[in-house]
Amino acid sequence: MTHAKHSQAMHFQARAAEKVRNPVLQRALQKAKPLFVGKRAKGMAALGEDGLEFEGLRSACVDIRNRVLADLDVWLAIFEERAKATGAEVLWARDGDEICDLVIDVARRHGVTKATKSKSMLSEEAHLNEALAAAGIRPVETDLGEYIVQLAGEAPSHIIAPAVHKTIHEVEELFAKEHGRPIETRTSADIPAMAREAREVLRQHFLSAEMGISGANFLIAETGTAVLVTNEGNGRMVTTLPKVHVVITGIEKLVPTLEDFATLMRLLPRSATGQTISNYVSLLTGTRQPGDRDGPEKTVFILVDNGRADLLGSAYQDMLRCIRCGACMNHCPVYFSLGGHAYGWVYPGPMGSVLTPLYTGIENALDLPHASTGCNQCGTVCPVRIPLPSLMHRLREAQTERGLRPWSERLWLRAWAWIARRPALYRWFARRAARYLGWLAGDEGRIQVFGLAPGWTEGRDLPVASNRTFHELYAARKRA
Amino acid sequence: MTARDEILQRVRAGVGKDDFAARRATAEAYLAARSRGPQPSLGHELAARFRSKAESLASTVDAVADPAEAPAAVARYLAAGNLGKQIVLAADIASLDWSGAGLACAVRGAEDADRVGISGCFCAIAETGTLMLLSGPETPATISLLPETHIALVPVSRIVGTMEEAFALLRAERGTLPRAVNFVSGPSRTGDIEQTIVLGAHGPCRVHLILTGQS
Repeated sequence: MTHAKHSQAMHFQARAAEKVRNPVLQRALQKAKPLFVGKRAKGMAALGEDGLEFEGLRSACVDIRNRVLADLDVWLAIFEERAKATGAEVLWARDGDEICDLVIDVARRHGVTKATKSKSMLSEEAHLNEALAAAGIRPVETDLGEYIVQLAGEAPSHIIAPAVHKTIHEVEELFAKEHGRPIETRTSADIPAMAREAREVLRQHFLSAEMGISGANFLIAETGTAVLVTNEGNGRMVTTLPKVHVVITGIEKLVPTLEDFATLMRLLPRSATGQTISNYVSLLTGTRQPGDRDGPEKTVFILVDNGRADLLGSAYQDMLRCIRCGACMNHCPVYFSLGGHAYGWVYPGPMGSVLTPLYTGIENALDLPHASTGCNQCGTVCPVRIPLPSLMHRLREAQTERGLRPWSERLWLRAWAWIARRPALYRWFARRAARYLGWLAGDEGRIQVFGLAPGWTEGRDLPVASNRTFHELYAARKRA
Repeated sequence: MTARDEILQRVRAGVGKDDFAARRATAEAYLAARSRGPQPSLGHELAARFRSKAESLASTVDAVADPAEAPAAVARYLAAGNLGKQIVLAADIASLDWSGAGLACAVRGAEDADRVGISGCFCAIAETGTLMLLSGPETPATISLLPETHIALVPVSRIVGTMEEAFALLRAERGTLPRAVNFVSGPSRTGDIEQTIVLGAHGPCRVHLILTGQS
């Protein structure tokens, strides 16, 4: 069921160390972070002008997503019936390999040699591009960011800004190579010309591909519809021009009604980019109708499990509410220190630190639930109120319960627990530790090099407030 | 066991309830109720709101009192931007006198070489400054997608407050959804190179709206 074979999440620490020391990556990240945070804040503040507020909308969005998850079997049945009634085919895939098999089969049935793709994170879970290429079908990513990472032979490093880790100079090198021209010196004033160049190259692919592959931001049960939310218009291209449209999406992406979708749309773009609405929101239902001049003759939905059903009814069910806005990673200090590739699988940032162990196996992503400062910025901005830090804590507990932590850590914890259950002994140790730290800190009250954990003081001092324990200070205060 | 049956079995196990028929009836009742979430208060000046929101999303907006004046307004816009006189038109607005305004029009879906596409709209949404376009024999989706310039005629009488109101109008007038309902809010854009916003990613670089009629 899982895809541990493609995951690099077990190498998180090594990759993180490498990413922290990569100056090009650090420059790209430092440039992006304030933009993401500022845009969202502005977008949310503007809700007030229309008499709306974040918490009220958020509760409504949580209710919609919970309603679907509580009876997902029912909503899937309704969606399947209604999508079929509009003329679409509905297929099911247990895992990534089955996604690839189904897409290749549809492609072969329709004589497809080239497929244009709009962003689909599920196709990343399935490694669909590799499978298509191996089957002789050329996949072309058309979201500009996805196109850039495809040219680089990389995976996206962010779920809504796939090339956020790339600088303009890296993009220029990739374009020059792919488009067969010399490398030029580029500044940000050249970005429109570079986007134009990609537009012209990709336009020819849009016109010639026989198949369009997209994900879906939502599926609407009421109408059997897939929704695509994009800014570039590539989502419209791949669902309008080719003769076959394949939608690959997770079984948890359902919402009941058009009204519910409208409610979620008030928070999705604002959470992602701060926009009140994305440029293009397309509701795609069935196939080309009699008399229509465009649209696919064949529409196929591939509804994917790949680990999702197992989260239903589990301690992690809240994670299935996720609407993939990216706000959690946009506000994460760990994400912006490392970029998305350090996380080693499809989903980075806090949502990835929860999803990767759940979808690829807890034993295959031991570091990710620990890749958190516990600041809860992610939980604070999440539009569907997913308690991301709590879920990471739960995963840490699961690691301990399954004996997956290193023996030294378990030994320390056992020793600490033994002492902590003996108050007199605990106080004695605490007093010794406080005196020791106080002595190390000296008159300035700061420890510059802490020998027991040198990493902590590598780039900063450790301030020490007092050489007395909390118990001692509290007792002294009560006496006074 | 087929993939479908196995996935649904897992989902049922996770949901952990067995009264499928009763839950299905509850779900159908929920669908029928079409209840709305928190609604914005938009005031009564929907046309003004639509206009200012559309402009904030980098669309340009003009207004004419009578739809018959729209072709001349289009001709003026194209001349001012040096955008030529060749236009591709959606059939639902072809009855206006376009050639009388000096424009060479083709009534069909748009192709790659077309520079200017002109459409009407099913309705427009004041909350976000958004056009609602339906695909159909008379309203090809390509017109608002392939040409670099998209011009849309927006009857002021067709401006509604929210997406929910637009859906209510769609249900009342059409009943079912066409292949594509496209909500369009300004020219296409990308921020994928160093988070710098560029207009004209894959779709139109320019969106010009002409409000027609009185509110």
